[in-house]
Amino acid sequence: MEFTKLFSQSEVERVHEASLEILENVGMMVRNQKALTIFAINGCRVDMETMMVKFPREVVEKARKTFVPTYTFTAQDPKFDVTMPGDRPIVVTGSSAPNIIDPETGEERRATSDDIANIAYLINELPGFDVFSISTLADDAPEGQFSLSRFYPALKNCKKPVRSNTPNMEDLKAVLELGALIAGGEEEYRKRPFINHHYCPVVSPLTFDVESTEAVIYLLEEGLPVYGTIVPNAGMTSPLSLMGTLTLGNAEFLGLATLTQMIRPGAPMIYAVLSTVADMRTGAYAPGAIETGMLQMAHTEMARYYNIPSGGYIGLTNAHSNDAQSGYETGMNTTGALLAGADLFNMGGLLGSLMAFDFAKAVIDNEIALMLKRMKKGFEYSEENLCLDLIAKVGPGGSYMDLDHTMKNMRTIAVLPKVATREMRRRWEDQGKPDAHSRAMKEAAKILSKPNKSRFSEELDAKVRGHFKGLVAGDAKWSL
Amino acid sequence: MSVQNIYAGVVEFNIDKVVSLVEAEIKNGTDVSEILSNGLIAAMDEVGQRYSEGEFFVPEMLMAAKAMKAGLEVLKPLLSQGESEKKGTIIIGTVKGDLHDIGKNLVSMMMEGAGFEVYDLGVDVDTEKFLATAKEKKADVICMSALLTTTMPFMEVTVKAIREQGLSFKTMVGGAPVSEDFAKKIGADGWSTDAPGAVETARKLTAK
Repeated sequence: MEFTKLFSQSEVERVHEASLEILENVGMMVRNQKALTIFAINGCRVDMETMMVKFPREVVEKARKTFVPTYTFTAQDPKFDVTMPGDRPIVVTGSSAPNIIDPETGEERRATSDDIANIAYLINELPGFDVFSISTLADDAPEGQFSLSRFYPALKNCKKPVRSNTPNMEDLKAVLELGALIAGGEEEYRKRPFINHHYCPVVSPLTFDVESTEAVIYLLEEGLPVYGTIVPNAGMTSPLSLMGTLTLGNAEFLGLATLTQMIRPGAPMIYAVLSTVADMRTGAYAPGAIETGMLQMAHTEMARYYNIPSGGYIGLTNAHSNDAQSGYETGMNTTGALLAGADLFNMGGLLGSLMAFDFAKAVIDNEIALMLKRMKKGFEYSEENLCLDLIAKVGPGGSYMDLDHTMKNMRTIAVLPKVATREMRRRWEDQGKPDAHSRAMKEAAKILSKPNKSRFSEELDAKVRGHFKGLVAGDAKWSL
Repeated sequence: MSVQNIYAGVVEFNIDKVVSLVEAEIKNGTDVSEILSNGLIAAMDEVGQRYSEGEFFVPEMLMAAKAMKAGLEVLKPLLSQGESEKKGTIIIGTVKGDLHDIGKNLVSMMMEGAGFEVYDLGVDVDTEKFLATAKEKKADVICMSALLTTTMPFMEVTVKAIREQGLSFKTMVGGAPVSEDFAKKIGADGWSTDAPGAVETARKLTAK
C-alpha cells in the first residue's frame, strides 16, 4: 500500500529544519529540575533560573541517530502483544474521561471502578481493539487509591495491553507495585512490562511540565515502556495555521524525543499527537474536526521521515451521542490517518471530546477499527488473485455463487459488520427501526452478560487484595 | 459624550484610543467612577453579550479585555481604595499538577474587566498558596481551573481545606472537564461554562 503524501521531500525537510530553528532559537521552558539537569549535561544551553533550554541542532541530530523504528505494547497474555509498524493499525481506546453515559438511563454521570471493569472486559472481547487505554476515571476511588482504582479493574478484566497515566509519582509507584504483584515479582514484571505508560509531558507552546516529565524520566531510567503525546491547539497554544501548528508540534516532539534519547539511547518512541484547531467562535476544543485528521496525516509524514511509528488521538468526536456527527468525525479522520500511514489510533469509545465513555460508541468504533484493518490489508495483489482462470471458467452470464473459491473466501474477504444494517427496509421496520446506537448496545450487552473468562484467577485476586487493603471490587457485572 | 467613546473604544478593542480617551476624560475632570462604570465596565458587559450571541469570537473578547485593562491601569491611581475593593477580590489559578492556563487567563481578564480586584497565581498552584494569598488579600472568591481530568481532585482538596479551617472564602471551579455536578459534589460555591458566565457567577457570589 502506497501512503498518501501531502508534502514534497524538500517541504518535509524544511519542516524539520524549521523545527530545529525553533528549538535552537526560541527553546523550550522546562519546569522540571531533573530534566533541566539532563539537558544541561547533554549539550543544551540551559538557564537554571529562567528554566529555558535552547537545543543546538547537533544535540537534536545526535538524538535522532538513536531513534528506533518499532514500538511494542506488551500484554499480560503474550498472544495480545502488538508491535508497530508491523501490526498496524494499532487501535486503542480513548482514555481518562471523567464521565460515562449510563447504559441503563442513557444519562451522563461520573464513571466508577465498576464501569472500568465492564469496559475492560468489553475491550478484551472486541477484536478491533488492540490496546486498552483506561477509558475513564473512577469517581468511587478510596482516598489514596486514585490510580489503583483504575488499573486494578482494568488489569483484572483485560488481558490485552493496558495503557494509561498517573497524576503523580506516588500513584505511579503504586501501579508498578500492582504490576509486579500480578507478574509474580519485580524481575518477572520487567521481562514483560504489561502496563504501558503514557503522558503528555509537553504543554504547548514549548513547555515541559513538572509531574508528567518526572514520571517519563523515571520510567525511562527504569527501562520501562513510556511514550508521550504532543497536543498543540491552533489559535490557542499554537499558530492558527496548519503549517505553523505542524511545525510547532514537530519541534515539541523533537524536544521530547531528545530528552528521551538522552536518558536512554534507543528507547522506543511513538511520534504521537493530538494536534487540533480550536473553534475560535467559542474557544471550544475540536478533536473531531477534519483539521485534526489533516494534522495527523502531516505529522505521520514527518514521523516517516524520522523512521519511527506514528499516530495519536485520532478519530475522536465532539458529538454527545452516537449520531451522524459521531460517525463521520471518527470515520473521516481515521480513514485519512490510515491512508497517510499512521500506526496508532487512540480512537475508541469516547463522546463529547474525551468527556464521556459510551458502550455503544466503543462497539461502533470496534467496527470502524475492523474496517480500517480491512483497508490496511488492502487488495493483496497477486497473479492468483486476478482470478483469470475463474473468470474464463464461469464466462459471460454465469454465477460465482457456488464455486469453491467463493466458499473459501466468503468469511474473510469482506468485513461482516454487526452494527451496520444491511436489512431491507421492511424487515428493519419490523424489528422496531433500531439505529446504530441500539444495535451496538445490544452487542455490548451480549458480550457483557456472560461471565468474563479472562478475569484474574481467584488466587491472584486474593493476593492482590491482600496486598492493597480497601481496594474497589473491580468486577465486571452487567444488569441490563 | 466621551465616556461613550471610551465604551466604543473597548468594544472596538482599540487600546491606544481607550488609553488616550481615559486620559482626556480625567483631564476634563469627569468623575472617575463614571469613567469606570459607564465607560469601561459597561463596555465589557456589551462585549460579553456579543460573545454570548456568537458575534464576537474569543480573540475579540480577549482583545477587548486588554483594551479595558489598559484603560483601567490609567484610572487605577485615582480610584479610591473603596472603589477598587467594592466589587470584590478574586484569587485565581490553575490547580496543582496542571499547567493549562488559557481558559483561566481569559476568566482572569474578564474578571478584571468587570472591575474585580484580581490576583492571578498562575499555574500549578497548591492549596497552601491559594489559601495564603486569599488570607493576605482578604479575598472574597477563590477561582480554580483545571484542564486535565487527573488534576481535578485538587479542587476538592482546597474546598475541603477552606471548610476545615472555618474560612469564609467562596470557591468557583472551571475548565473543560468541570461540570455543574462536579462543582456541587465537591462543595464549590460556583461554576461556569465560559468566561462571561464566570463573571456573572462571581457577581452573584460577591453580592452584598
